Amino acid sequence: MAKVTITVNGEARTVSVPPETTLLKLLREHLNLTGAKLGCDVGDCGACTVIVNGKSVNSCLMLASQVDGFDVLTIEGLATTDQLHPLQTAFEEKGSLQCGFCGPGVIMSAKALLDEEPDPSVERIRDALAGNLCRCTGYSKMIEAVQAVANSVNSHPSVKSA
Amino acid sequence: MEKKTVVAEKSAPAQALLESVELELLRAPALAPLSPLPLEVLVPEARQQTPAVGQRATRPDGRLHGLGQTKFIDDFYLPGMLFAKIKRAGVASARIVSIDTKEAEAMPGVVAVLTGAEIPCNSFGPSLKDQPVLADTRVFHAGDGVAAVAAVTEQIAAEAIEKIKVEYEMLTPVLDPLESLKLETPGLHAPNPNIYGHKVIKKGDIAKGFAESDHIFERTFRTQMVEHVPLEPHASVATWDANGRVTIYSTLGRITLGRSDVARTLGIPMSRVRMISTIVGGNFGGKNEITTEPVVALLSKKTGRPVKCLFTRPDEFISSTTRHPLIMDYKTGVSKEGKILARQIRLVLDGGAYCSWSETTLGKACILSAGPYNIENLYAEAFVVYTNKTMTGAMRGFGAPQVCFAYESQMDDIATALKIDPMEIRLLNAFTNGSLSPTGQTLHSVVVKETLIQAAQRFGWNGAPS
Amino acid sequence: MRAFDVVTAKDSRHAVALLAEHAPTAKVIAGGTDLLADLKFSSHGPAMVVDISRVEDLKAITITDEGLSIGALVTHTAIMRSPIINDMFPALVHAAHTIGAVQTRNLGTLGGNLVTGVPSMDSGPTLMALEAIIVILSPAGRRQVPMAEFFLGPRKTVLKPDELLAEILIPKQNLGKPTHFLKFGLRKGQALALVSAAASVWVDVDTQICSAPRISLGAVAPTVIRAPKAEAHLDGRPLTADAMAEAGRIAASEAKPISDFRASAGYRRELVAVLTKRALEGAYELAKTKRRGA
Repeated sequence: MAKVTITVNGEARTVSVPPETTLLKLLREHLNLTGAKLGCDVGDCGACTVIVNGKSVNSCLMLASQVDGFDVLTIEGLATTDQLHPLQTAFEEKGSLQCGFCGPGVIMSAKALLDEEPDPSVERIRDALAGNLCRCTGYSKMIEAVQAVANSVNSHPSVKSA
Repeated sequence: MEKKTVVAEKSAPAQALLESVELELLRAPALAPLSPLPLEVLVPEARQQTPAVGQRATRPDGRLHGLGQTKFIDDFYLPGMLFAKIKRAGVASARIVSIDTKEAEAMPGVVAVLTGAEIPCNSFGPSLKDQPVLADTRVFHAGDGVAAVAAVTEQIAAEAIEKIKVEYEMLTPVLDPLESLKLETPGLHAPNPNIYGHKVIKKGDIAKGFAESDHIFERTFRTQMVEHVPLEPHASVATWDANGRVTIYSTLGRITLGRSDVARTLGIPMSRVRMISTIVGGNFGGKNEITTEPVVALLSKKTGRPVKCLFTRPDEFISSTTRHPLIMDYKTGVSKEGKILARQIRLVLDGGAYCSWSETTLGKACILSAGPYNIENLYAEAFVVYTNKTMTGAMRGFGAPQVCFAYESQMDDIATALKIDPMEIRLLNAFTNGSLSPTGQTLHSVVVKETLIQAAQRFGWNGAPS
Repeated sequence: MRAFDVVTAKDSRHAVALLAEHAPTAKVIAGGTDLLADLKFSSHGPAMVVDISRVEDLKAITITDEGLSIGALVTHTAIMRSPIINDMFPALVHAAHTIGAVQTRNLGTLGGNLVTGVPSMDSGPTLMALEAIIVILSPAGRRQVPMAEFFLGPRKTVLKPDELLAEILIPKQNLGKPTHFLKFGLRKGQALALVSAAASVWVDVDTQICSAPRISLGAVAPTVIRAPKAEAHLDGRPLTADAMAEAGRIAASEAKPISDFRASAGYRRELVAVLTKRALEGAYELAKTKRRGA
């Protein structure tokens, strides 16, 4: 068994898992964080996207032991007790998600982008979401939502990051 | 009577909402606000724009989706739950000589093995009951399940199905639908013929129409097989209670139909089957029939434990339904002005190994095959045939996109040959209010021409009439 | 995924030692984007996986006496953000950008892309057009293999089970060499290359005569290949539109594409001619105003 200690959504957790356990399995099956989804299990669909040390990754393509000591942010870590993350608000208001299965991954990709680039062009948003497949709504409302957040972040610098 | 309508108000921004609720509530799981729905039943009138058009609607479940709190089937766990895997045949056509499960059964962690011979009624289907739950004597396509294993982990189940040895007597597969269409080709599901659905639509006199035509265009169009690729794979979980009732959680979109198929395959009355549809992570027609449900139900019965089966992405591609590939022969006679005088169509639908929703697809494809055009003389004929391939079934439009590709491609062929603007030839032939459909239905609220003109203007089509 | 054990290497020396200890049944994991995708549905897993993702000494991008050294563990994202590479080889940045999507580029490494040995690899053509050298570590020491000799066939390289790809070296004489890379796939996002092409060339600013033209092609042979006849056609000549178009046609005759469900061999061959010409045009555009060594 591999002993893995990670900081997940700000809280330290230590888990013993079989060595072949992926980060996705660690999150879903050992930490009960089921927001990241298993869609293809080979890094094509992006439903399992989480942020590791500030970078968006496919959690199905990382071994749990590879994130030992790292900082992991999942969709469950975005909303706080007193407010939704601006992306979650925007995705809700713009109707960006239909079945919702791809949603957590899409929002995490968007968050990773906005953390580095508060005011991305549409081209950059499209590039950032290219690794997240959606079969229901199409991508335009997601891009609209990310743009809306980018614009509001720009006009209110104080709400830059949650 | 004056109609009063209530339109759902745009939901208040989360910030405003937050000020009005106890802040602690939002940690998880947050609840979506109630949405004021219209209380009066709207009776839409033809040509009248309903108030919903042009409004932005938010989904009541949008917030939970964004929070990652929507519970899909793979997001919950029942205590003691086992994981099932289904072994795929991997061969397109074969007779099963023997299935040896001993080695798999002896593996530590394996709790039960299931084969087709143990299934009370090993056939199901939305119309023809021609699909086995697990193939027991005959394999009809490579994605057929031949055995299933329930184990304490998914990993052990996956390893165990590889230890199951199946001996096959290989048969020559029929892969080409045109080959299958020939009467001399042996029936896959003999004694039933390979052509398992047929439809003809006749109108006017095509011989006369072609004789009067200045030009005749002939071409064959083909479309490919398409998988729905729902982001969420097919899955189900079954658990029995002490009263002999089974509860099945499933990603199924057609829960009622699934319930009768499950009852049939398990050989128990419907009243003993409780089906719970979980939030469906994408359907598109691909989750319209049962897949793993009887397997998990029987494995659960054997083990006395809840059993889950989740398709892998490869399972999804080879063992769930797909969109029908069509071979479409079009012959169209037109006047020198481009008016369609006669059209003859033959559609051959590749039905794959089992019927599934082929009959529905066949009917819709045939009815729509002439296109939204006034054609006095029409003969459309459609066949659906078995082949030793992944079965084809319901998918977005039931055959409509395939024939649309064919008839619109041919309209472009005709326009190019006659040097007529592609818009103009469509406006010349398009349905108007009161046009008769190929099956003789009088059509109302027809706005084909208006739609075309508006669309052409909006995207700046050169030939767009001003 | 089958059960396996994982050992984590602290540095490259440790990685080589672990690999020597566990070869030949061990697999190396770096970014994992290819390895784990392969192992997920495979019935034969390795007994041991050597995790080199924490080997910091293979993550550097530096100019050395030998040339530009890119550590095998440099991610595609790191290549895209490296000021040195952006300055010297925008083509490498572009090639990195065509790989997968953000998530896979954040994980996937340059060395990992090369060891797959697949003919459609996006990093291959540019590096081959720059005559890159592969630096390999093993218990026997350090050896260098020219890129053109690194690949043996589809998914086959010269790497032995106890050898580790450590760095990719772009030789000194090619630093800043004008290079252009093009990839053609069925879609923009996350597509495999139907054909990819890279060209590098020096042009004498005064005479506009070209020298050392290098053309490399992806996805049209069992490995990434060079197109030596097309190169020879251009060497010592001015890069006229005709000359570049002809080089494209020659390159097409040197390619050995196959037909599969993505495209026919004939279509791929046409693409080779077009992409080679355009890659040459792109490299020429950079080259005609750039003085060698400047």
